[in-house]
Amino acid sequence: MTSLASLTKPWEAFSYGFLDASAKRELRRKMLKAVAVPGCQMPYASREVPIARGWGTGGLQVTLTLLKPTSVVKVIDQGADDSVNAASIRKFLSRVSGAGKTWDTGEATILQSRHRVPEEVLREDQILVLQVPNPEPLRPVEPNMSVARQMHADADYGRLWLTLYEQMVRSGRIMQGAAYPSLVNGRHVMTPSPIPRWDVPKLHMARHLTFLSAGREKRLYAVPPYTRVEPLVFSDVPYKVEEHHDLTCHRSGLTGYFMNEIPQNDGSSSFEVSDSHFGIKAIRRSEGEALAPIDTWYKNGELQP
Amino acid sequence: MGALPPSSHALITAPLRGADEIRDNTAFEAILWALSRPGEIRHLPEPGPRTILLALVDRECRVHADDAVIGELAAWTGATLTPLAGADHVFLSLEPGADIARLNTLKVGSALYPDDGATVVVEARLGRAEGDGQRLSLSGPGIETTREIAVAGLPAGFFALRDRLCRYPLGFDLFIVDGSDVIGLPRSTLIEVL
Repeated sequence: MTSLASLTKPWEAFSYGFLDASAKRELRRKMLKAVAVPGCQMPYASREVPIARGWGTGGLQVTLTLLKPTSVVKVIDQGADDSVNAASIRKFLSRVSGAGKTWDTGEATILQSRHRVPEEVLREDQILVLQVPNPEPLRPVEPNMSVARQMHADADYGRLWLTLYEQMVRSGRIMQGAAYPSLVNGRHVMTPSPIPRWDVPKLHMARHLTFLSAGREKRLYAVPPYTRVEPLVFSDVPYKVEEHHDLTCHRSGLTGYFMNEIPQNDGSSSFEVSDSHFGIKAIRRSEGEALAPIDTWYKNGELQP
Repeated sequence: MGALPPSSHALITAPLRGADEIRDNTAFEAILWALSRPGEIRHLPEPGPRTILLALVDRECRVHADDAVIGELAAWTGATLTPLAGADHVFLSLEPGADIARLNTLKVGSALYPDDGATVVVEARLGRAEGDGQRLSLSGPGIETTREIAVAGLPAGFFALRDRLCRYPLGFDLFIVDGSDVIGLPRSTLIEVL
């Protein structure tokens, strides 16, 4: 005989990894489609999670779907591991899954990040999850999202080049500092989330899988390993990253990485390396600790092929 | 700074993973890796397409299954069973001599919504020895240069049909299951039949 007990599951405080099974299945389906069509924005339902929309809920849902007890998560907020947002998300992820926590890029299996890609080269078994505030590269030129969808369908991206051209005419150079529109797999233009120009080439033909997920906008997209990610440029105006190659971090002494500018009282600036744990490791090494050598995307401020 | 101090909420223990969650997560991890690196063999928690279905399909899905057992399982998850033309998840049993003309009706999505293209799971034999099965050369996202694989037991003309239907970004995404081994062939992969 069917009893209520046979139809229901035993009581649980909450599901493993916070999301319920049906939410996870929907995310899994959409994540697979996102991998199959790199750079194409896939709509998804975007469940409620216990942080406010716009604070990383998109990335959080992707990470929660991937989590298992042996995962090790690193959460980056603008390069730092110790900001309130990063620390809260990392603590939450660990509490709902029993996954390990780390600040070290090399130890992590899942890296959820806001606005930076780590300086250390990611391995093929690592997954980068970028939180995206605005997934639509066409929004500045086409506010109607139905029309923008049609433009993606037609690969009609001329107006993006026009914006870049206008920046050249007005300012003499391309002013787009972050979220630089990039052509993925030669077909879809994506916004790589507001990572600096410095970080965009790290996604090109990378060894790792990248998910980009916008919780408030309910869309996710992906860059699989070994996928072409080409920033939009003109044939006579090459892509330029930030000129940080000769800046030195005042705390760790590192030179040639992406720096945060810290204004000083006397009007000058000092700089510190943006990838905070990368800087910490440099300090520890200078104090004599034996650390494994680190492979970085940039060496002496130049991107390594 | 590698190891962090224990959380102040250490008394609240993380929920335990049930058997379903372990199976679904393991299966998804395998097919996600397989799809992001086309042609690389990954391992499902159980032989057969069953775990793929359980990890992906629920009442929001429209499923077509050639195999009655898989169809029953899909219906048990709450999915709607439909003819091939309307299905977003398709579980095929293809004999080597089967007529594949019906596959022309597979959903391939639209230019506006490429995600409407079907996810297709088919059982076949992944050739491991020399001369075992049809050799294929793969290139595209997920593959650094090219990768060669061999697949046996699919009807002649299957990959020509795929080539015709997969007009990127339209197309269907394919998983080939051999026992508990699985490979993924997303629509973005160019397949050259050698």
